[in-house]
Amino acid sequence: MISRRALELATAVLTGSFGVAVVVQSLDNGIGWSSAGVESGTFPFLTGIIIVAGSLYNLARGLAPVASLARVPIAITSIELRRLAGLFVPAVIFVAAIPLLGMYVASAAYIFAVLAVPRHQSVLRSAMTAGATALALYVVFERMFQVSLPHGALAAALGF
Amino acid sequence: MDNLSELFHGFTIAVTVPHLALMATGVLLGILVGVLPGLGAPNGVSLLLPLTFGMQPVSAIILLSSMYWGALFGGSVTSILFNIPGEPSSVATTFDGYPMARDGRPTTALATAFGSAAFGALMGVILITFLASWVAQVALAFGPAEYFAVYFLAFASFVGMGGAAPIKTVVALAIGFAIAAIGIDTVSGSVRLTMGIDELVKGVNFVVAVMGLFGIGELLVAVEEEFHARAVSSRIDWREVFRAVGHLPRHGVALLRSAAIGCWMGITPGGPTAASFMSYGIARRFSRRGRYFGTGEVEGIISPETADHAAGTSALLPMLSLGIPGSATAAVMMGGLMIWGLNPGPMLFVDQKDFVWGLIASMYVGNIVAVALVLLTVPVFAALMRIPFAVIAPLIVIICVVGAYSVSNSYLDVVMMLGFGVVGYLFKKLFYPLAPLVLAIVIGDKAEDAFRQSMLMSKGSLGIFFANKLVTCLVVAGIALLLLPLALQLFARIVRKPASARTTNQEKVSI
Repeated sequence: MISRRALELATAVLTGSFGVAVVVQSLDNGIGWSSAGVESGTFPFLTGIIIVAGSLYNLARGLAPVASLARVPIAITSIELRRLAGLFVPAVIFVAAIPLLGMYVASAAYIFAVLAVPRHQSVLRSAMTAGATALALYVVFERMFQVSLPHGALAAALGF
Repeated sequence: MDNLSELFHGFTIAVTVPHLALMATGVLLGILVGVLPGLGAPNGVSLLLPLTFGMQPVSAIILLSSMYWGALFGGSVTSILFNIPGEPSSVATTFDGYPMARDGRPTTALATAFGSAAFGALMGVILITFLASWVAQVALAFGPAEYFAVYFLAFASFVGMGGAAPIKTVVALAIGFAIAAIGIDTVSGSVRLTMGIDELVKGVNFVVAVMGLFGIGELLVAVEEEFHARAVSSRIDWREVFRAVGHLPRHGVALLRSAAIGCWMGITPGGPTAASFMSYGIARRFSRRGRYFGTGEVEGIISPETADHAAGTSALLPMLSLGIPGSATAAVMMGGLMIWGLNPGPMLFVDQKDFVWGLIASMYVGNIVAVALVLLTVPVFAALMRIPFAVIAPLIVIICVVGAYSVSNSYLDVVMMLGFGVVGYLFKKLFYPLAPLVLAIVIGDKAEDAFRQSMLMSKGSLGIFFANKLVTCLVVAGIALLLLPLALQLFARIVRKPASARTTNQEKVSI
């Protein structure tokens, strides 16, 4: 279970650290006024400051027991968390596998895995859906729109 | 009557067989994403965007805008038949639409919704027809300072009228600006904010951002709740359709009022969602049958639907004539315009007459096509709702991954897209608004350039933003909008002690 407060705090910390990174990076470009006009780091520097300030405000609001936050104490229940992971973790593995397997093999394997392993569909139907997806991708992108999707190290090793 | 002859010329472009076919395709795809929960107009348009790169700009915009109309209509279908809003902007339609359908009048509810939606859209297009070129003409006299003032006004109105918590809106906007700044600076040519990753020199493409924010992000929100669609009958009785549409003129006041609210909210970046809620609230307040609202009142369907479509349509006016999108979907389309090599803004009306008037004419035709198709396909799409979410979800993931990759054949984009997905989920969950974030990614660069150019002109003095009446008005209006939430909060604190109830109400609306 994740409380609304924890989620607010985590997000504020996330946005805040992005802001800090922006501020630090923009200092390299120089801020302020030079002979060529406003220096290129100025605008990002200001946005970075705004992000940090806004995140600090959100952080403070998240820490303070405000009535509106107390009303929804739980943002994500453990069941919801499991469903989220069930969608997101396979998606991450899929993306991680693309450089190795290539888009077509990886997406077919991904579809097959998420349908057949939790038994949403029978093995045969899962395999058919997986095959149809890869085929549709190939026809639409490689053939119709002439966009080459990554074939992966596997295809290169096999000599495609 | 220059506009009318231009419009007529536009019809000759829009009403050709290939373009009508594109319209039908766009509308059908739009209804599809509108009907499927977890996908909406911004997602649909962004998913389709990579496929339009090779098309003629007119054809591409007709496809995308038709998809937008389709999505607006499709969202209402599920709201009425299943009590599941397929789109955030059709949440208000569930209040009276579903009760009416449940009482055994689904056809009346659907026909009323589509009829009033078409009326709202028509009002929006008429507004664009007559105002767009005038606004563009005014805008042609703009210098960098005026441009920056207009951008500033657009950003400020998100903070002041967006409905989300103001500080969260500011943070979302600023993050968008920072993302827009990544890569090569257009003014000085120096490399900015690459965080030590060389590949980021090319910048973060907004398609990658919207795929993650809207595609993966909303998928994650949608997967949390399991959908149990309990359908009422989705058979269409044609006589009932004509009777319901024939009854619409009786509610003329509600129609006109809702269209006006919608147009206003569309031009100022309030967006369709806020427009539909506002229109519903006002209708309940002023209708003589206001206390029956929520039990299946006709005006309870008319008001949100008319405003929703009027806002959705008129959001394209500032996008075309000023280069400032009035909604998230318009922001995505505007990004598309830039990718197709067009420069959104007043010059479009001079350089790209065919494009502009072809698009405007296609809005008239597209909405008629949309009404016809949505009525015909209600049973089909209602059946689609039975496809399990478990099958649709991984397909959407694959579309997002392929889409992000195909923008610039970069694996890093795919990884970033997933990252944006997590950000989109967190923001959605915590009521950070996504529209200003996307808006800032798309036009952040232009706003910054306008600011720096005006600074060059004035040799670093901020006085240039108060140099003439026009720019002063724009800047003052922007500052006023920026301070509006603060003023409201102070006011509420003086009048009543418990000021915290406000924010929760606002947060609900911003869903």
